[in-house]
Amino acid sequence: MNVVVMITKNKIASFIEKIPPTPKILQETLALLSIGELTKAAKTAENDLALKAYLKNIVNKPIYGFKNEVSNISQIFGILGVSQSQQTVYNYMVTLLNPNEWLLFKLNSKLFYELQAQLSKKWDTVLSHLEIDNKDIHGAITLLPSSIIVSEALFKEKIDEVTLLRSTKALDYNTILTRLCGIGLFDICEQIANKWGMSTIVSQIIQASSGIKPSDDENINKLGKWMHLLLFYELSQPLFIKAGLNDFIDFQVDYVGDIYDEFSSLMGIE
Amino acid sequence: MKAVIKNGVAVFTPQGFLDGNNTSSFLELDDVEAAINLKADLILVSLKKVIFFNRNGLDTFIKLFSKIRKKNKAVVGFCDYDDNKYKAIKNFYKNEIYFSLFKTVEIAYLFSSSFKNQNKNILIYSSDNSQRSAMAIELHDNGHNPIIAQNEADFLAKKAKKSSYDYVIYSTYLGQMGQNIATRVTGNAIVYTVSGYLDVEIGNKFNIEYHNNSLNVGFRLFIFDAYKVKSMNVHALNFFSKLSSAGAEYNATICFAGMSFEKTQKEFRETLEDAGILFYNELDDILQNKELLKELGASSAANIQNKRVLNKKNVLELPRFIDAAVVTIEMMTNAKAIKESAEIHNLVIDDKTDKIASSIGYYGDIDGMVILVFPTKIAQKACELLIGESTDDLELILDTLAELVNIVGGNIKTLLSNDDIRVDITLPRTYQNIDDLLAVISNRKGVQVDLSFDGNKFLFFLTR
Repeated sequence: MNVVVMITKNKIASFIEKIPPTPKILQETLALLSIGELTKAAKTAENDLALKAYLKNIVNKPIYGFKNEVSNISQIFGILGVSQSQQTVYNYMVTLLNPNEWLLFKLNSKLFYELQAQLSKKWDTVLSHLEIDNKDIHGAITLLPSSIIVSEALFKEKIDEVTLLRSTKALDYNTILTRLCGIGLFDICEQIANKWGMSTIVSQIIQASSGIKPSDDENINKLGKWMHLLLFYELSQPLFIKAGLNDFIDFQVDYVGDIYDEFSSLMGIE
Repeated sequence: MKAVIKNGVAVFTPQGFLDGNNTSSFLELDDVEAAINLKADLILVSLKKVIFFNRNGLDTFIKLFSKIRKKNKAVVGFCDYDDNKYKAIKNFYKNEIYFSLFKTVEIAYLFSSSFKNQNKNILIYSSDNSQRSAMAIELHDNGHNPIIAQNEADFLAKKAKKSSYDYVIYSTYLGQMGQNIATRVTGNAIVYTVSGYLDVEIGNKFNIEYHNNSLNVGFRLFIFDAYKVKSMNVHALNFFSKLSSAGAEYNATICFAGMSFEKTQKEFRETLEDAGILFYNELDDILQNKELLKELGASSAANIQNKRVLNKKNVLELPRFIDAAVVTIEMMTNAKAIKESAEIHNLVIDDKTDKIASSIGYYGDIDGMVILVFPTKIAQKACELLIGESTDDLELILDTLAELVNIVGGNIKTLLSNDDIRVDITLPRTYQNIDDLLAVISNRKGVQVDLSFDGNKFLFFLTR
């Protein structure tokens, strides 16, 4: 009988252990960005060709609204400013966890980058609306899509079983994982944040954005609500629905009820 | 998007925002057909996790509903909404609502012919008289006790007496309903509700596979509740005669309750009686008469005339059946299974205390029945993933066990299809008492596999 149990705490521990620490170039780039040294940060970033290619790819997406192609890293950091540059470097770090081939979700690198870009730009709009200018809070959004990567990594070998289970009961991946192992997707995201030395506030916002672990801190909770609603606004886009992302975690409608009108007005939803 | 199917109701649950751009991505005809193939007779879109929708968004679903109706006659519509969403939908479509609206999915279950928990006291209110009546009729046909509130004041007064009702239905609207024959299980009798003119269509509407498998799993008494039948023609006569003859080898009895022969030839009754069919004035004449029930075979499911042997086809696929069960239980318990023994004999259960069981039949290219016997504690553990918490509520555990066995059945179907063996699965049946199970499968040989999960015994039995 060639069967193995579904998911164990050991498997989760092994996944977390395999997460690479922040590469040296990225560490230096982030350190320079954090003190506002955009030019020096750009010079350092130039040494990582994959990072360079990613930055060019992402900022030239239509949502960033540049008329001409931007290809120089100094130019990119200059246009984005400190907070958004840091956010984009974190986005790149998350892509380092991407699988070679997506099996659970119908995703590819291009579509994943698109999700990152959409979330990041709209998160900036939200923070601007809320009059929040904090580079750690700007960067918090980058960790959100890592929950998708974690789901892919943990469930890809059990697709048939999970599909059958989900045809019987409306269970999202976070609930299945929590019920099986007592640890949820967002707990794993928090561990990733810790491993990468991200600020504590990032972990707190991410946990609140799960919609099931509200924060005692009113401000953090408010940001968690906006992030939760923003995530489902994006996951309601046809491309991401077709990728199987719409129901990968549970949307907590009641949790975001009090900010919905403000959100819909900001996003121009009619 | 895949549907969750329970009690014959398939529910699609989109999350977030529904507008004209994205609804076709949520639900495609293939997804719906997959649900219909799994015997769903209601196809619903849940609005529980939807925070925004507009008319364009719903229109796409409604066009799809129309296609489903034309092709499969399934009941289609929306469920799980609050009063604001209900008002918005009614306002969008005003008098052009042919789809159904069920305030909750639990209310939708009540209208499903596959819902096994009948006999519920249900308070109904709608400002529309015809809706009130339509709901009452459908619920009555499905074996419930509908109580109609005549106006809003009456509704509020009745609703205040919470303990009097199992369910309260309001903000619900029945569009075109399905045309399947309602089926319900009362004790060990199966009651089919038929109505209108019975003609050649009865052959299409009646689920003969379900009936045959009910015979196979031990049901012996089948009652056609026919008080709403207007007349019957010769095609229907032949159908019922053949059905009765086919059931004779199982020693099964077919009865008609409430059938009026005012507009049907009187000779038909004699022909049907010659075929072994019995007639009673009312359903309760049978169901309330314990002596009669015993005589008709409904009190004992064990009386099997046709002892079928386990054949080579089934034995060859045995590893797949075991895999299907083991993979599912491993998934549910997150524990590894160890096979301890496998032998062919009658089902042997040494200690029947604190055990519950569930069975599911399969039919098609091959047929048979898988039975799982659990210590109650293991069943509890296995059901925790589905329930979300530990519970001692035996009714809930049995209900969830049925879902679990349904997953096993689905796994069997998938694993067999890898070998190009096509099968369908029956609804699962659960047994709170092991003696009831043994009565159903007495003297049937099968393959018994003893398994252990974390040191706890679990029994798998495959038979025909």
